[in-house]
Amino acid sequence: MYLIKKNDILQIAKALSTEYQVYGPVIEPGSGQTFFEKVEDVSEINLSAPIPAAPPKHIVFPQADRILSYRYAGGNAPVEMKPDFKETPKALFGLRSCDLTGLQCLDRFFLGQEFVDEVYRSLRKKMFIVTNTCVVPFKYCFCVCTDSGPAAEEGYDLNLTDIGDNFLIEAGSAKGKALCEKLQLAKAADKDLAEKNRLVDKSITLFESFSTESKAWVSRVMNRITTGFAKEEVWEYVGDQCFECGACSFVCPSCSCFNVVDTATGDCSCDRLRTWDSCSYEGYSRMAGGHNPRKPVEDRRNKRFFCKLSYSQSKKYLRPGCVGCGRCDWVCPGDIGMPNVVKYIRRETTSRDQL
Amino acid sequence: MNNGTKIVTIPETATIEDIKDEIRDVKTFYMSLDNKELDKNFKIKSGQFIMCTIFGAGEFAVSLPPSPENDRFHLTVRKVGSVTDALHELKAGDKVGIRGPFGNGFPFEEIKGKNIIYVAGGIGLIPLRSSIVHVLQHKKEFGRVLVLHGARTPDDLMYKENLKEWQSFPGFETYITVDVGTPGWTGEVGFVHTLFDKANLPVENTVAFVCGPPVMFNTVIGELLKRGLRDDCIISTLERHMKCGVGKCQHCAIGRTLVCTDGPVYTYRQIKTLGEQI
Repeated sequence: MYLIKKNDILQIAKALSTEYQVYGPVIEPGSGQTFFEKVEDVSEINLSAPIPAAPPKHIVFPQADRILSYRYAGGNAPVEMKPDFKETPKALFGLRSCDLTGLQCLDRFFLGQEFVDEVYRSLRKKMFIVTNTCVVPFKYCFCVCTDSGPAAEEGYDLNLTDIGDNFLIEAGSAKGKALCEKLQLAKAADKDLAEKNRLVDKSITLFESFSTESKAWVSRVMNRITTGFAKEEVWEYVGDQCFECGACSFVCPSCSCFNVVDTATGDCSCDRLRTWDSCSYEGYSRMAGGHNPRKPVEDRRNKRFFCKLSYSQSKKYLRPGCVGCGRCDWVCPGDIGMPNVVKYIRRETTSRDQL
Repeated sequence: MNNGTKIVTIPETATIEDIKDEIRDVKTFYMSLDNKELDKNFKIKSGQFIMCTIFGAGEFAVSLPPSPENDRFHLTVRKVGSVTDALHELKAGDKVGIRGPFGNGFPFEEIKGKNIIYVAGGIGLIPLRSSIVHVLQHKKEFGRVLVLHGARTPDDLMYKENLKEWQSFPGFETYITVDVGTPGWTGEVGFVHTLFDKANLPVENTVAFVCGPPVMFNTVIGELLKRGLRDDCIISTLERHMKCGVGKCQHCAIGRTLVCTDGPVYTYRQIKTLGEQI
């Protein structure tokens, strides 16, 4: 454990920038919204910025990513294929614990199953992760319900906690420790850790009053979703409310469905692009010829919640697929973000008044 | 067992050697991988599928009709969308891309010693062909083997040469029917399940493989169950929209399974619990 003066915290980002492409929370001047973006100058990073509007999953799973380019002129001509896997070393500076959990979900899904996803692996390789403890929750947060916050517990190289005049720095890896030693940071005392723990405990108690938009008793509905005991009327209501915009999938730190398209870049050349997709779209499961095994919108909608909350699906993430960031609730025009759906299922109601 | 090479992420090129017209909008493409070493190690299991790239158009999932043994590698594809349209435009000598083979495949060892019924509606015979030819090559190890094929018209009967061969193959019982006869058609007329009585379908120690359009599938399953076949003795292969073939894109998710990695071959007992249309 180490300490660094609050004003000096970006020195760590600065040190990382010599070796890594640094990403961090940046407040966009026009909209005032926070985005987790690549920074040219580490001074753009704002560690006290609210939770980013979109998760940092685009860094390992870009919205549109060229995975291959090819050229083929037909007939006997050879097919020139160029795989396009990128392996730039990246440092994520100031990641919130929910987003780290989302990243871990993606790791387990893309790397930890029968097939390893080479595209994801190349983007995920050589990464340095610095998390930032949420000493105050935000309006839509419910990570306390999904066991993914407010402080990161594993999977980081360094974890920062704002303990007043200083940041407490915990190293979670040899790589993290080496950086702290190199920067000759002051050692922290037990009382500093005690202060961090006090702040985390306090943060948890603040959810009741701060995170007024979101509460989701996830563990209670996992059983019902797994065993199919969630009422059909609830799914129908959820389906009626769904605009099929796909926003919930795009802002979800653990949603990773993708589409693959070959787009022409010249007469005989194409780029193979991997793009985000959403299970709420009607065309998602439609086959060539028009047959679509999933027609009604409620059928497609419950798939998403099944994917996030059933035991059988959680095997791929080794935890629930929801990380409690609350972004789906924030963006959903139909008011069927995760917390509301959890409440509908739990109370077996389709009435907004009973929430 | 499938110990051959699996092409996972970047397709390998293959050259189309011959093209055969099957029925309207359906052609068979014989091909081999350009990398000869790989071609030798490219082993499939019947019931598996591959992802086929048509350069400039895209990629699609397609079932494999060749038997794993002594059969020339080929795909039989109906022209049904933009990518398969582009495939149908190709000529011998043109190149395509191949990834795979993927999926679990039909059981083979598990069904030894049993009676086998194949029920194929229309181009549903394409994925079943692999298993039929495989069983034919090992006929001694099985009981009665019945192939029941129904098509819309006599012109829509798939793999006519194979059907002829199977009709005269000792120990194979092949029945053919069409929904609508044409002048000169002397065979059966009626949906494929109307053949069941004529074929004196076995029930005990029997496995049925069913593949065809959803409406045919449901009728046939109903008939088979009525006759006393157990739901775990009815086997089918499902078709889904797929983008990756390796369990990542999630397009083929059905219930708690993925058709690409857990399927495409399921028993009817499994299909019933997946909670989705066929």
